[in-house]
Amino acid sequence: MTQFDLYALAPLIILAGGSILVLLAGALKPGGYLYALTGALIAAALVAGLLYPVDALMPGLAITPFSRFFAVFYCTAGMVALLFATGYNRRRGIAGEEYPATLLFALAGMWAACAATDLLMLFLGLEAFTFGFYILVAIRRDSVKGGEAGLKYLLNGTLSAAIMGMGMALLYAATGTIKIAELALVANQPGMLFLTGVCLLLLGMAFKLSLVPAHLWTADVYQGAPAPVTALFSTASKAASLAALLLLLPIFGTWHGLRDLLWVLALLSMLAGNFAALLQSNIKRMLAWSSVGQMGYVALALVAAPSGGVRAAVFYMVIYAAAGLASFGALSVLSDKYEPAALDDYRGLGYRSPLAGAALAVAMFSLAGIPPAAGFMGKFGVFAAALRGGETALAVIGMLSALVAVYFYLRVVVMLYMKPVQENIHSRPLDFFEIIALAAPTAVTVLLGIHPQPMLDLLAEIFTR
Amino acid sequence: MLTEYPILTILILLPLAGCLLLLPVWNCRLSARPIALAVALAELALTVWLYASWRGLAALPSRLPGYLLAEDMPWIPAFGIRYTLGLDGISLLMVMLTSFTFCMALLVSWNSIKEKTGLFLTLMLTMEAGIMGVFLALDLALFYLLWEVMLIPMFFLIGIWGHGRKIYSTVKFFLFTMFGSLLMLLAIIALHLLHAQQSGVATFGLHELLRTQLPADTQLWLFAGFFLAFVIKFPLFPLHTWLPDAHTDAPTAGSVILAGLLLKTGSYGLIRFGYPLFPQAAQTLTPLFYTLSLIGIIYASLVAFAQEDMKRLIAYSSIAHMGYVAIGIAAWQPVALSGSILQMANHGVTTGALFCLVGMLDERAHTREIAAFGGLWGKIPQYSFFFLFFSLASLGLPGLNNFVGEFLVLAGTMKKLPLVAAVAFIGIVLTLIYTVRLVQEVIFQQERQSLPLSDLSPRELLILAVLAVVNIWMGVHPAPLLDLIHGPVQLLIGGGM
Repeated sequence: MTQFDLYALAPLIILAGGSILVLLAGALKPGGYLYALTGALIAAALVAGLLYPVDALMPGLAITPFSRFFAVFYCTAGMVALLFATGYNRRRGIAGEEYPATLLFALAGMWAACAATDLLMLFLGLEAFTFGFYILVAIRRDSVKGGEAGLKYLLNGTLSAAIMGMGMALLYAATGTIKIAELALVANQPGMLFLTGVCLLLLGMAFKLSLVPAHLWTADVYQGAPAPVTALFSTASKAASLAALLLLLPIFGTWHGLRDLLWVLALLSMLAGNFAALLQSNIKRMLAWSSVGQMGYVALALVAAPSGGVRAAVFYMVIYAAAGLASFGALSVLSDKYEPAALDDYRGLGYRSPLAGAALAVAMFSLAGIPPAAGFMGKFGVFAAALRGGETALAVIGMLSALVAVYFYLRVVVMLYMKPVQENIHSRPLDFFEIIALAAPTAVTVLLGIHPQPMLDLLAEIFTR
Repeated sequence: MLTEYPILTILILLPLAGCLLLLPVWNCRLSARPIALAVALAELALTVWLYASWRGLAALPSRLPGYLLAEDMPWIPAFGIRYTLGLDGISLLMVMLTSFTFCMALLVSWNSIKEKTGLFLTLMLTMEAGIMGVFLALDLALFYLLWEVMLIPMFFLIGIWGHGRKIYSTVKFFLFTMFGSLLMLLAIIALHLLHAQQSGVATFGLHELLRTQLPADTQLWLFAGFFLAFVIKFPLFPLHTWLPDAHTDAPTAGSVILAGLLLKTGSYGLIRFGYPLFPQAAQTLTPLFYTLSLIGIIYASLVAFAQEDMKRLIAYSSIAHMGYVAIGIAAWQPVALSGSILQMANHGVTTGALFCLVGMLDERAHTREIAAFGGLWGKIPQYSFFFLFFSLASLGLPGLNNFVGEFLVLAGTMKKLPLVAAVAFIGIVLTLIYTVRLVQEVIFQQERQSLPLSDLSPRELLILAVLAVVNIWMGVHPAPLLDLIHGPVQLLIGGGM
């Protein structure tokens, strides 16, 4: 291992080592400083990743512009989620070192997943962050909903892990290798065993991305988990799963079945997600179902992967993540000791807490794809790729389901600004970190909506194919 | 020199800069209102100045043929989107109408908006920027973006300061418009891709896309996407149902802008983009367009006659009046098209004034029921005078502005399709019936309820007097405006009479 390899691995070492450090420090002296320490560690990983942008290749891992891009993405999302969690956990009495340590561990897992070059490392990375979320989702031991969500996620997650493991085993059985590059070489003359393995892998990834029909856990888990966890869960973990899927794409080769399967997944996700969200009265459930629909658009972009869809998918994911962080972040700062669950509880909150209300409203406009919020640019990219790929029917269906989505996203805005304020809720002044954590994703959302070119240039550089 | 400055960008950015000025006085109603008005007046002054110098500009060589001013720079090269603005005679007329209407809307809501004034004024100025942009954009993606941007402030305007079933109305308004727009977005992207296939250039620029060769059936599909988006805004029968609700429940300023400007963005879009981009498809759909416009005129006039709420009545009359604009576009003939474009401005002024008048009455009496009034002529003569004046303008009294527009539309259509013009004439008779009923019941007749009504305040008198002067000017001497749009209309139609 050379010095450069060490530089390249520094973020992973900081995150993974930091996780253990926080755990140990918590055992010696528990307290709020652990959150500050965690924040410093994430910042250090971020700085290390940005300051030494070196490519490196080692067994199982390849640090490339691709992996660095995603690593920065996760760390930023993790930082924002941590800022939300600090105050939220203090208010709820979620003390202890588990939360920050697990967060770091999950980030390390994501980092590994997007740098993997063989199936084993990919599996390890994916399961590592999923494992982190098993804990984070159920972090409130006294919460019934949280426990239920944790159990549901655990059962579904292990099932998907088993499916993916089986798929990998079949691929190994068919080819005798687990290296993605070597698998890609055989991909153009796939046998039955190989294809079965590939399909199982895709199904496993559909679980992680909560694409219909593998989405059933989503609503319960989003609802039961604490809002800052959902914020990270719905953004970074989705992005990590997308990154893993992108790494796996070469294995599918030119097999046309991939397009057909993704086509069905995209269609079902867009329809089921958006129509089910229409019926929800709990805001977190609504956002959960809507995220199923949003992932449908990502899948739509992937259907058109040969015509620039990959770039569009990642661009969409970045924008979705900014909106997801802002919306779940707003929910977490708007909650006091209890989390207002029903949509009705947000009546008039846009005037009570202007910043949180504005962040939530901007996020809703972005998710609905209404300019000048960035969601419009994301949808623009996805639909342009889809039409370029000749997927006209799917694009039209996607557009019409987007109209359905506009309705339920607007409902939130209507609640925030057009309904009379509830008198019994008093708003709490936000602390400095919460303001930063809310303002950052909102600013990104507005900025990417008005001036997306730098981000598009960056993506064009990373995804040259 | 005028052309050295990015005047068109300034037109869009000035109201946005005004929003920033409002931030320090967000909660101070007394100082926020004059600031917003000053910004709107500056905008008006700028557009009037442009109008005063348009002949000089036309004499200069332009970067785009037929355009007085044009600005162009790259915006999102990765998507092929450019920031292209252009001002020709039609745009200039619309831009003037926009800045004028916003001044009136701000003045008319001077006292009636008592809560969240800072937010209200910010939304108004943002909307002004968006509408300005819609009338100036020559890049289809930019146009689409601004087309959506202008919706958001209106959504809040109706939803926050509206009356009655305001949330139902505003959501309905938003969804109807989005429905058409989203399909138009797909059509825009598809057109962009087809053009890129043919020429190898990825662009959304209108003037490049005009050269795209499209097979007839593709053209029909794409035009359908554009057509739907634009006629929902119009609104064309049977897609008009959002309009009476939105108008009725909107605050007065919202109604004035809705009728005066947002409806015009639909007809403007059809003239600027829909017909020129897809000429054959437009010809194919013309019979349908005629039929729906005529049904709209007759139907809306009949429904207007049955209304009990004054605002609803005027809303339906809007649908009928916009039907004439639609017929003029469908005829796609120089005289009729000029009439349509002029009628867009006329309708904005007249109907805007009528909504102001109803708003003023509503502020005093807290009701808009026709049955509640009567005998106003004796009680509030100044108000009644203007009410009568704009009602007469609305039904097309010669000498006032609507007459000119409707006359040109019908004269042009008569040349092409006498039958359509004949049926449209019936519409004018129907207009007469419901307007006379409105005037008769509200202004004359016996007083039915003793409402505490006071006559016009100086502010209200100013608004109505200005509107009336503009109205008479456009009615008596429309030639300068017709000159203004003559060149662009010839270019659009291709010079053939």
